[in-house]
Amino acid sequence: MDTQLRDQVVFHLTGRRTGAESAAAAGLRPALLAAYRHLESLRYDFPVVLAEGEDCVQSLTAMVDAALRAVAPQGTAGEGMRRRALRIEREIRKLVAGGARGTLFKLWDAAAQAAAEAGEEAFAKDVARVRSALKPDGEVAGCDADLPRRLIRHAWSVEQRVKARQARDRIGKLVIRLENILRADHMRSAQALQKPELQSSFGGAHQTLFDFDAMSRLLSRGGPVSGLEERRRRRIEQVVATLKSQRFFPAAPGAAAAAAPAYDFEFPDPEAALKAFRDRLPQLVELWVAMQLAEIEVEGNFVEDVHEPLFAGLDEQAITPQDLEFFPDYLVCLASAEAPERAALTAALSSGVPLKVMVQVDDLLEEAVLGHGSLALGLRSVQLASTAMTLGDVFVLQSSASNLYQLRGRLQRGIGHHGPALFSIYAGPAGGAPKLPAYLLAAAAMQSRAFPAFSYDPGAGPDLASRFSLENNPQPERDWPEESFSYADQVLQSVTETVAFTFADFVACDPRYVHHFALAPRAAWGETMLPVRDWLASPPQDPASRVPYVLAVDEADLLCRLVVDDRLIRAAQRCRESWHRLQEFAGIHDSRVERILTRERQAWEEQHRQELAAATALIAAPAAEPPKAESRPAAAAAPAVEAEPARNPDEPYIETARCSSCNECTQINAKMFAYNENKQAYIADRKAGTYRQLVEAAESCQLSIIHPGKPLNPAEDGVAELLERAKLFL
Amino acid sequence: MNAVTKLRPRTTSRSAASQAVAKQVVTLEEHIIEIMSDSGEGAQKCGQSFGSIAARMGNGVWTVEIIPAEIQPPARSVAGASGNRIRIGSKRITNGGDEADVAVAFNEQVLLGRVNAGELKPGCIILLESMWAESADPKIAAQYAETRDRLVAEGYRLYEVPMEKECRTLVSDPRKGKNMFVLGMLCNLYSMDMGLAREQIAFIFGKKDEKVIKSNVALLEAGSAWAEEHLEFKYRVPAERATEPQVVINGNTAIALGVLASGMDICAMYPITPATSASHYLSDIFERSGGIVHQAEDEIAACAFAIGASYTGKVAVTITSGPGYSLKQEGLGLAVMAEIPLVVVNVQRGGPSTGQPTKVEQGDLLTVMFGSHGDAPKVVLAVSTIEDCFYSMITARRLAEAFNMVVVVLSDASLATAQQPFPRPQFSADWLAPPVDQNPVPEGAKPYDWDPVTGLSHRFVPGQPGGMHTLTGLAHDRASRVAYDPEINEQGMHARSLKLAALQKMLTPPPVVGDRTGDLLVVGWGSTRGAIEEAVERLRGEGRKVSSMHLTFLQPMQPGIKEVLQGFRQVITIEGNWSDDPADPLIDETNRRYTALAMLLRARYLVDVDCWSEVRGRPINPGTIYRVVRERLEKEESRS
Amino acid sequence: MSTASTCLHHLFEEHHVLEDYQGGVPRWCKGCGDNAILAAMQRLCRDEALRPEKTVFVSGIGCSSRLPHYMRTYGFHGIHGRALPIAQGVKMARPDLNVFVNTGDGDCCSIGAAHWIHAIRYNMNLTLMLHDNHIYGLTKKQASPTSPLGTKSNTTPRGSYLDALNPLSVTLGVQNVSFVAQAVDWIPETLFQIITAAYRHKGFSFVRILQRCPEFVGSMFEPWVHDPQKMMMLMHDDGIRLSPALQKIYKNVEEHDPSNIDRAREVASIDDPIPVGIIYRNPQVPCYEELRGAGALRTADSIRTSLDAEFDKFTIWPQ
Repeated sequence: MDTQLRDQVVFHLTGRRTGAESAAAAGLRPALLAAYRHLESLRYDFPVVLAEGEDCVQSLTAMVDAALRAVAPQGTAGEGMRRRALRIEREIRKLVAGGARGTLFKLWDAAAQAAAEAGEEAFAKDVARVRSALKPDGEVAGCDADLPRRLIRHAWSVEQRVKARQARDRIGKLVIRLENILRADHMRSAQALQKPELQSSFGGAHQTLFDFDAMSRLLSRGGPVSGLEERRRRRIEQVVATLKSQRFFPAAPGAAAAAAPAYDFEFPDPEAALKAFRDRLPQLVELWVAMQLAEIEVEGNFVEDVHEPLFAGLDEQAITPQDLEFFPDYLVCLASAEAPERAALTAALSSGVPLKVMVQVDDLLEEAVLGHGSLALGLRSVQLASTAMTLGDVFVLQSSASNLYQLRGRLQRGIGHHGPALFSIYAGPAGGAPKLPAYLLAAAAMQSRAFPAFSYDPGAGPDLASRFSLENNPQPERDWPEESFSYADQVLQSVTETVAFTFADFVACDPRYVHHFALAPRAAWGETMLPVRDWLASPPQDPASRVPYVLAVDEADLLCRLVVDDRLIRAAQRCRESWHRLQEFAGIHDSRVERILTRERQAWEEQHRQELAAATALIAAPAAEPPKAESRPAAAAAPAVEAEPARNPDEPYIETARCSSCNECTQINAKMFAYNENKQAYIADRKAGTYRQLVEAAESCQLSIIHPGKPLNPAEDGVAELLERAKLFL
Repeated sequence: MNAVTKLRPRTTSRSAASQAVAKQVVTLEEHIIEIMSDSGEGAQKCGQSFGSIAARMGNGVWTVEIIPAEIQPPARSVAGASGNRIRIGSKRITNGGDEADVAVAFNEQVLLGRVNAGELKPGCIILLESMWAESADPKIAAQYAETRDRLVAEGYRLYEVPMEKECRTLVSDPRKGKNMFVLGMLCNLYSMDMGLAREQIAFIFGKKDEKVIKSNVALLEAGSAWAEEHLEFKYRVPAERATEPQVVINGNTAIALGVLASGMDICAMYPITPATSASHYLSDIFERSGGIVHQAEDEIAACAFAIGASYTGKVAVTITSGPGYSLKQEGLGLAVMAEIPLVVVNVQRGGPSTGQPTKVEQGDLLTVMFGSHGDAPKVVLAVSTIEDCFYSMITARRLAEAFNMVVVVLSDASLATAQQPFPRPQFSADWLAPPVDQNPVPEGAKPYDWDPVTGLSHRFVPGQPGGMHTLTGLAHDRASRVAYDPEINEQGMHARSLKLAALQKMLTPPPVVGDRTGDLLVVGWGSTRGAIEEAVERLRGEGRKVSSMHLTFLQPMQPGIKEVLQGFRQVITIEGNWSDDPADPLIDETNRRYTALAMLLRARYLVDVDCWSEVRGRPINPGTIYRVVRERLEKEESRS
Repeated sequence: MSTASTCLHHLFEEHHVLEDYQGGVPRWCKGCGDNAILAAMQRLCRDEALRPEKTVFVSGIGCSSRLPHYMRTYGFHGIHGRALPIAQGVKMARPDLNVFVNTGDGDCCSIGAAHWIHAIRYNMNLTLMLHDNHIYGLTKKQASPTSPLGTKSNTTPRGSYLDALNPLSVTLGVQNVSFVAQAVDWIPETLFQIITAAYRHKGFSFVRILQRCPEFVGSMFEPWVHDPQKMMMLMHDDGIRLSPALQKIYKNVEEHDPSNIDRAREVASIDDPIPVGIIYRNPQVPCYEELRGAGALRTADSIRTSLDAEFDKFTIWPQ
């Protein structure tokens, strides 16, 4: 065994360096990240613009493209404009990367200044033209440590503004309609007929046309016709007062501010939010009850002895999550450092309070409590998200910051979710790793499965399949995503191989963990070294014969291999396992399913031959009649079948359903013939009249639906002749 | 010096300043200017703008539209005159006045129309477009020359103005620009503040872009400069700026704004001249606050629609003119019988039948009072100023609601288009119709619980629980049940009639202009107010014992009228509806047909009220009234 | 899902019986078909649980137009021919009300014809019942526009001179038509089904009801009353279906899709056999009152604002 291999093996197993070089010196980064040295020059999702309205997160790149499509002339004519616009975009990226803040237009102008081409009239014109087509304006946010908080606060406040607008509108309309009830009542009151009110209801010189004392005296005669009951008036006034003094929704922009300022709904920690919710519960119930009352009152549907006891008994118990949807949500943004114990947070999330919590995970690689120096990848954070899923009604979104633009739709769904929501976001280490921009680190965390993106949306459906999504993770069916990677070898031949981006590669981004790597000089490269991916896929029987490595590049972009120590490998394994769990949630490589599948396959193949025949028969058979559609709401359903009563031919009867309510028979004998609940005639009491009347009724009935039957009293005079006449109606 | 003043710069210097000194400015109490053109040439806009500028200066102003009957009458036709008469003065102006002092015409034919109608003062200044002299069409050139010479011969001070030529130096289509050039001339002629003039232009063309405004301002200044340079006379009508905000609108606009301010929700109408412009304007502004203007399929439907809407709780309005009013009458009878409140606006025009659609007349008074078959008492009031048009809508709605009655408001073609500044109204929420009452109706309450003294009753409207009843145009009892027996029929008639008496008891006596006793009292109603009062002032100024009284309410009539009538040796009404001339050979006491108001006054107060009227399709002017009254007085004197 | 709020709102349940909708005692002649229409109307109000105070029956003049007096709801017995514009005014001012119009062949198709045509155009959410007995009853027997050629009456003693006007085909000829049906008073069950469908249709529902006038033209509908084969029953899942009982009697059935305007026009022009059922329905036609934003909540502020905005245009401010 040659010395280099031995040194590497020793390092791998013990982390002790004999000959093996430390990787500390060289500012190394994973080979796959080599390409991304200068992000400003790339057009990608960031920075984003935080705008009002439907899509409240927009990518600068997309907006510039849209603007150019709108204003830039087709073909070469538009080249100049496109070129300039892109230059401005680049400038803005620089500014944002340099920590600049501000609205798109502000930054655009600043960038235009910076990029101004001396004495170019065209430049100014083009830039202005594109600017005019940029919409909407909004704060610009780069992918930095502040992004998660800014983005989620923005999405949340947009949602709250929408809610507030709808609520104000609904409450405002109710107030108007209630006040109309009061005013209508006032206008018929004695007071409204007093001189002052009468006078002020006329305008200008026309007031001199009238003697208002006389008018008051004469109009007041007879007094008002009743009006509102005192109790109802007080009830309505009370409701109006409540609706007007509510503090859950701010007054409309521009409108006079309410007496008491509106509540704030953003809190530093869940406890504070819960407390506020509890403290405001009485006001919330009061407002909610007032609105129910108002809606019933304006329709004039309030029935005192029915509703009053009920309303008296109403308290927070009556309020459902659906009712809470009307009210604002509470927002809490936390850095994982300040995050409370998981227990506390899950308690808050399961409390039923519409709480939106954002936990910003800033470090995935905490040194584990036990076994110093061994890695426990961000247990707290990752588990937090998966635990929240188990609460059922909580919306959960885990994502690295770099991915938030792609996931903005889900983000907004989470904000709009009627229940609580948890957003667990990774935005790069707290300090930020030197050399690499936060965006790359965040992306790397997701790429390497160290911090996979997933979402759990209780509103999306009843089962896990519809609720859980691994959307946006690269190559989700693989353990590690793979990319083809080209470089030039010693003899400058271009070599291309597929390289996986593993957990180890991600850790290699972070200088703090450099002691987990040893630099392997080119000379030492050879059969004995395995890429981490292969090592994890099938660890060698004889560990002493092989070492795992990751590819990296130094500042000079020279390719090198880093031997990975065993502790990092074990961390990578744990990472892969938790990734597998997520895959199973998402139905990828579902172990049970696969087991069942293999078992069933043979059975199925067994039967297949026999079933084939049956199957073809099935196909040949005519498709089953689809069930007849229910008669549409617009059309009146055909009346139900009345069973034809078995009739005694001697009994007189009327085909009641055909009676056209013409009063002929009822006017002959209103006791004998009566109307049913549909005002159609039937024989109420044949004893109440004579057989003659029955026959006459039958004859006078224009629809001939009266059947006189046989006489009760055969002795009734003229009965023979009547029976003759009755024959027509048998 | 009745010659055409040949126009050449009075000095070779173009310095306006030096001339302002040179030209001496004549100060005037008041002046009347007429501007006319073929329709479409913008004389109207020019006239209204000039009126507004004068109003801004603080002058009293009254503008009257000169409207041709057709939309596009043939060019250069005597009947086709379209334009404006503007009367400006240092004091408040209440009417269009007598003959014009200055006339501006875009061609000699439209001018002739006014000359023949005797609208121009003898020796009146005429500023006439001169381009026609060089017309390629020899016929036109001849017409022009002939008219010019005739006018000069008749002693008019005629100035030929190369309007189009001057404008062509500034705009491509001078036919469009002329009116602003003329506006400039007038502003200079009457020493108006050019700053205000420019603002006015900015306001008119506000909707258009900067270019349009610029070029019109250029025309304005060109006109002013031209006048400064070529006209040897210049006037000033002293004025003091108003201390409170004023609005300048015409009567129909005022009515539309009144409808909005009264809180009525629905206006149902059918197009008819000269009422329609009120609905045009209302259609434009009403929906913004949730109101609706419904253009129905005909006048009858418009009336029925308004009645249906009113029936449900909030008073509605229908706006029309004579012929339309005739069609609505059966519906109005229903509203009276069922006691559904309703506001009807009748902007009177020349009648009968199609009559004179664009011209003023006061011919509908008796129709609206007594129209509809049977005894159908309605409230009738007449507006007499632009301000009145606005407030009358609030009054009418309020009364209709208080009395469950039809309230007819009479305006006319002259108020419809006349403009006069008045203090900007301060809106009050108390003007608004109250919300629809949906409260339950107490047990046993009846929809027609007629009060024995006032005849008033509380009506129930759909949505009020317990108030269900079927309203009907048949005779009905207090519960709205159809009733044929004599007592109930009389009860209903009695109650509906009593309501007028009740209203009359709430009215104040009409004010009298001048002493409450004297030789002659002029009584009038409607748009003649300004002219009558101006004439009476003049006569009183000459020491005559003349007073006047103008009636707002025609039905019921205000209290105290009889006492006033008895205070004068002669009483005469002056009206714009037909009356026989006693001088006609066949006419005598037994067959003379009096004017509407005279007939009413004679019948009600048993006073020998005389009348004088004209139906010439134009406002009666103060000079005429002055002459008529003076003749009466002199006749009386000679008799005694 | 029933939350406290939803059940609170449903607590207000009114259960009505036919008597709640019965007003004055009908003064129609014995055997008059209007009785059937009245009974069906009262049944409709009960079964649809219409609140009497929120329901308005508007009518013109004629036998038919007395119907409102016999309902215990709000009613408006107007003037000859003008029921429709009155009803439109009611609906425009108060979209919250259920508005029905009862009119006759003279009231609607003669003196009120102009309003009828335009009512179809407006397509306001009203239900019109044309009581068509082919004769003027209240004025004692004169020919009406729908009297068949040769109808003897006091104004046409030797028989009417003109062919009858067909209200169905006229209605179907007007732009914006959205609901046309025909019923006959002597099949009350389908009459009820049809007016129910008409009431539920959002838009202007035109229901022509052939109605017997035993007093003046007793024999007018005899053949059809007594021979079920002369009745053409239009059946469809989007229309109405016959009850088993009626299926035994009326066997002349046509499957007719109310959305088919062309067939609707053909059916409408058949007068023998008499088609009964929903001839045409198009729920997509917009309602005029909605186009005009009827029922907006107006406030003193909104009015003040627009009034001031207007005055600003015409104001001369003191300099």
